[in-house]
Amino acid sequence: MTDAPLTLNINGQDRRLGAVPDAERLLDTLRWRAGLKGTKEGCRTGDCGACTVLVGGEPTLSCLLLSREVTDEPITTIEGVATVPIGRAVIKAFAEAGAVQCGYCTPGFVVALAAQLGRSTTRPDVETLIDGLEGNLCRCTGYRAIERAVELARKAVP
Amino acid sequence: MRSDAEPKARGAVEYGADLEAPGMLWAALVRSPVAHGRIVHLDLAPARKMPGVVAAVGPDDLRTLLPKAALEAERPVFPLQEIRYLGEPVAAVAAQTLAQARRAAAAVKLDVETLRVDARIEDIFPEWPSAASAHDPHVVGHVHARYGDVDGKFRTADLVHSETYRTSGVHQVAIEAHACLAEIRDGTFCIRSSTQTPFGMREDVASVLGIPESKLLVEGSWVGGGFGGKGSAFLEPYALLLAIASGRPVKLALSYAEEFELGRTTLPAIIRLDTAVSRGRMVGRRVRLLLDTGASLPGRDFAVGYSIGFLLGPYRTEAYEIEGYALQTNKPPFGPHRAPFAPQSVFALESHIDGLARRLGTDPIEFRRLHAWRENDRTAYDQPVGPFGLEAGLEAAARTAAVWRTGLPAGHGIGVACGFWSTGVGAGGEARLFLQPDGLVILEGEREIGNGSVVQGLAIVAQRVLGLPASAIRVQYGDTATAPFDSGVYGSRTLAALGQAVEKAARNLEKSLASRVGVPEVRLELKNGQVVVVAGRRRQKLVDLLTPAERAAGGLESHGKHYGAEKKVDASRVLEGTVYPYNDFAASVHLAEVEVDRETGHIGVVRYAAFQDVGTAVDRTSVVSQVEGGIVMGLGTALSEEMMWTPEGRLANPGLLDYRLPRIRDAPPIHVDLIEGFAGAGPFGAKGIGEPPIIPVPAAIANAVADATGTRVFELPLTPERVARALKLL
Amino acid sequence: MSGPFAHRKAINRRPVGVCVSFQLVQPATPDEAVGLLAKAPAGEISVLGGGTDLLFDIDQGRASPRQVLSLRKLPWRYARWEGATLVVGSTLPLRALEMDRRVQQQLPGLWEAIRDVGSPALRSRATLGGNVGRCAPASDLLPMLIALDARVRILGPSGVREHPIDLVLQESRKTSLGPAELIESIIFPSAAPSCYVWQRVQPVNDISQVGVATAFLPDAPHWRIALGGLQPRARRLSEAEAVLRSARPTHLEQELAAQEAARRAEFVTDRRATESYRRRLVAVMVRRALQTTVERMPGPRGPRKAAR
Ligand SMILES: Cc1cc2nc3c(=O)[nH]c(=O)nc-3n(C[C@H](O)[C@H](O)[C@H](O)COP(=O)(O)OP(=O)(O)OC[C@H]3O[C@@H](n4cnc5c(N)ncnc54)[C@H](O)[C@@H]3O)c2cc1C
Ligand code: FES
Ligand code: FES
Repeated sequence: MTDAPLTLNINGQDRRLGAVPDAERLLDTLRWRAGLKGTKEGCRTGDCGACTVLVGGEPTLSCLLLSREVTDEPITTIEGVATVPIGRAVIKAFAEAGAVQCGYCTPGFVVALAAQLGRSTTRPDVETLIDGLEGNLCRCTGYRAIERAVELARKAVP
Repeated sequence: MRSDAEPKARGAVEYGADLEAPGMLWAALVRSPVAHGRIVHLDLAPARKMPGVVAAVGPDDLRTLLPKAALEAERPVFPLQEIRYLGEPVAAVAAQTLAQARRAAAAVKLDVETLRVDARIEDIFPEWPSAASAHDPHVVGHVHARYGDVDGKFRTADLVHSETYRTSGVHQVAIEAHACLAEIRDGTFCIRSSTQTPFGMREDVASVLGIPESKLLVEGSWVGGGFGGKGSAFLEPYALLLAIASGRPVKLALSYAEEFELGRTTLPAIIRLDTAVSRGRMVGRRVRLLLDTGASLPGRDFAVGYSIGFLLGPYRTEAYEIEGYALQTNKPPFGPHRAPFAPQSVFALESHIDGLARRLGTDPIEFRRLHAWRENDRTAYDQPVGPFGLEAGLEAAARTAAVWRTGLPAGHGIGVACGFWSTGVGAGGEARLFLQPDGLVILEGEREIGNGSVVQGLAIVAQRVLGLPASAIRVQYGDTATAPFDSGVYGSRTLAALGQAVEKAARNLEKSLASRVGVPEVRLELKNGQVVVVAGRRRQKLVDLLTPAERAAGGLESHGKHYGAEKKVDASRVLEGTVYPYNDFAASVHLAEVEVDRETGHIGVVRYAAFQDVGTAVDRTSVVSQVEGGIVMGLGTALSEEMMWTPEGRLANPGLLDYRLPRIRDAPPIHVDLIEGFAGAGPFGAKGIGEPPIIPVPAAIANAVADATGTRVFELPLTPERVARALKLL
Repeated sequence: MSGPFAHRKAINRRPVGVCVSFQLVQPATPDEAVGLLAKAPAGEISVLGGGTDLLFDIDQGRASPRQVLSLRKLPWRYARWEGATLVVGSTLPLRALEMDRRVQQQLPGLWEAIRDVGSPALRSRATLGGNVGRCAPASDLLPMLIALDARVRILGPSGVREHPIDLVLQESRKTSLGPAELIESIIFPSAAPSCYVWQRVQPVNDISQVGVATAFLPDAPHWRIALGGLQPRARRLSEAEAVLRSARPTHLEQELAAQEAARRAEFVTDRRATESYRRRLVAVMVRRALQTTVERMPGPRGPRKAAR
């Protein structure tokens, strides 16, 4: 096992994270080494989307990803998303739509939605945006409020 | 807007899964690989030798680490001999890292003598139990109640409608798995946990570990979904035991596989219903229920006594006989799960009634209206029914159904189902308010778990009484040592019961201020960040009304208590066991439109409507979102969620790969209609809303399928294959 | 509660989940990768594409390699058209194919099948190479690859070989690849009206109980029908294809082909579906897939319908 020091580019900063085992998942590195616990741990099997982060701008499941596989790609977590205007608009939309109950799923949804709104040159329509949330589970809201949040967010992002 | 929404969405609040402490160890459970057995030899030595391991505890350590009482507990922390379900923890280890702890747990040597596994209730009682069956060792609970001339009604009936329904085990699946952290601070045992009931947890942990409550402190973290699953002691005793053994803080968090295998959830049941009909009315009913309660403790079972009443429904019943058995099997213990067992009972009853209405050629909504409870009707146990919005709900549903019927495409069907729920308003709670010169603080022992009842509901209650703007009211969370007692966030009771304590505390505040000003009543306002007391045209800053002592303390404190009296049942109707009184009456009427693929049995839910009796909607956004959430969770119970156990007692689908939850595209358009005006026991007439919305869902879907196809499905969930079988496609 | 079934049993549980450890190697060139694979003792090394299958298997204790060889640095993340032929590098994330409009238009069935793999965030890592390498009986992609006559380019110590997909697939977690071989790319020889339909308990992220892929290829024999959700793996149903004699088979022919498919396929019962239900589903779904494929044909009967 190399356990060599690992550096990752997280939220625009190079973070030195110490001797990370080769088998460690990005989810664990982010939460327990980088102290970024906004990325939530759910199923760890790729089914819930609570662990969604952006890798190279694409929503990705950090529970099924080795930290050492992403050394040359920028990583953005909810903490990073929350500082940019699109992220702030999405967060506001979720809060206003009543789409946050226990909130455990919410960072994953916010990251997945903000990425879609931020990426496209043409604005995706609401239905496409909702399709992009297919991988995120929410057990509290019944999703309808989340759909309302998608509508609000789409209006808010120019 | 809820004050917790934005920080949660930013990922800035700490849930149980996020808990951390300096010097913390990670724990792992050693879990039984068999569903039933006797421990012959359990050797922790190999685990203790593993790298990073600091402590390992098993049954033998209870003697040395805990007072004697811990061994005398009805069920000690670890089984001393008999293992009752697959995955049951038999020991636990703590190590520097989670990986080390898991590896060490796997190194433990466990030698068990396997015993016969009882995994299915139909194998225990292939026939309906007879009088002698009550003594069968599997029977851990037996409820029997009777009223009226049941035999006579059935003898003289025009028609008897008889059916048997089956329901499956379903899991709460909060997205955050259980997690807690235990440590010892200044001789006090401290637990931080993702829990709905910090005070209940304190009581439970104390009794399991045989330590006094006074030495135990529980602090709730934010909860990533509860749904009944994050109630009393679960992981906490193991974590605390390891903290005692190691002298270090210990974190214990479950994986999803463990979450499923340790269960504490709804288990399968078989329900037999017979209804006697005379002159187009239901005049008598027999209910028989076999409920799997897994490895639950004998005599501790509330499930049968609580659910069996729901099999009579919110309908007038002239004569009935109900009999239910709680059966012990080698599955994890039954546990509360959002309206425990009500969606399943109601699936059976409302399917049954629907089929009966169709058989009689009566409109299903009209048929229900004919029998529906109205205020001051008597319940099956002879309680007066309180203000009840069922009839109003049915009328509204009938109007919507008529609109949906026009132009209903072929292959589509509309189903209706009713539910009712009795909010746990009896359970006690206390509130402490602290009015400061710049705003109001509500001190709470339990966290908001998601539905908004704490962070939003309680704040609005205080706001309505005192008149402050929402921005000036803050909920602050304490632990069981600093916060006032409350029973917890469960049973739809938080707003309805604890809200009353907050209302009283707020009124006390108001009274105290009014007497200081010398008027009968005052209201509060916020002006330039200062609380102002308004009496008619007089306005005074709060600070100017405080005594020097209060000023030094930072503000004015007030208390309120609510300890509801439990209502009573007519005990003469109960021949055996315990049934529970209803304390409040909330009605739900649901409508579903489905599309059934006649070739594959696949069900698509086209649209949905819920008519919910809320008493008073204290916060509309929260209520609507709560109703929508309950409905979609119910769609999971209706269509896809099913825990599948093998005959050896192994859960075949311990994860989301094969336990299917509804996703965003599964949520149909939902119309939520709040029925107000039938006041409940809560503040301003509010009724509990946490559980009711899930209750009628499986039945509404099943009835819509029957409407679309003319065929009834008698088993939950209604998977495509089950529907295909009912349609005789195979 | 004891009795005749009682016997003694000692148990050791395998550690699973976060406690696994292995060494990660990230070769920079295909040759280096093949060299490393050739050197490693058999069974001790696993190949990592997107990892969505492998890491899951490792967590479940179904794979416990000492070494994991990552393909991340290899130059195989591409999709290129050579005339009507599409060549997809084995490590290209599925998400990239999904975003490719030309894939959607010319290989609508493939596009549909890709969209059915997990969720968008999963597809941003999951690869075509990994799907072939895993050879899951319930794979959504393999029936479509079979129906499109896809070919697999394999790189090994003795160079490159190319085989029809059918010869590469064997059974769950087993392909005909040698221990030191890698899938370099997957080749779709031609654009084709095609369709993928499945039945699951739920539409997203679920495991297909049955998947049906149909395609109409430019060269005779034109029709392809392939099924997934079978043991030991997805396969083509030539007997059912033989029923279809023209580019626009009649409804009766479509129905007969569907029934032939249902008759010929070997199903199993598992917790997701029984054997008889799967048979029933195939009869329905093959007919529907054929009908959609016909609708997607270019020609006088209206414009071609792109998938969704
Ligand atoms: C939540 C979830 C949902 C899923 N849903 C679906 C679904 O709906 N439909 C479906 O078909 N699949 C599904 N999958 C399975 C999986 O995502 C796909 O099979 C995916 O295509 C695998 O690609 P990968 O690159 O991640 O594979 P990896 O995990 O990297 O590899 C899989 C196997 O292939 C081998 N391998 C990988 N690349 C190569 C190569 N270039 N040469 C030789 N061998 C190689 C690996 O050694 C390994 O044995 C799902 C998985 C998860 C976790
Ligand atoms: S934790 Fe990664 S998908 Fe659930
Ligand atoms: S808000 Fe609780 S899981 Fe989504």
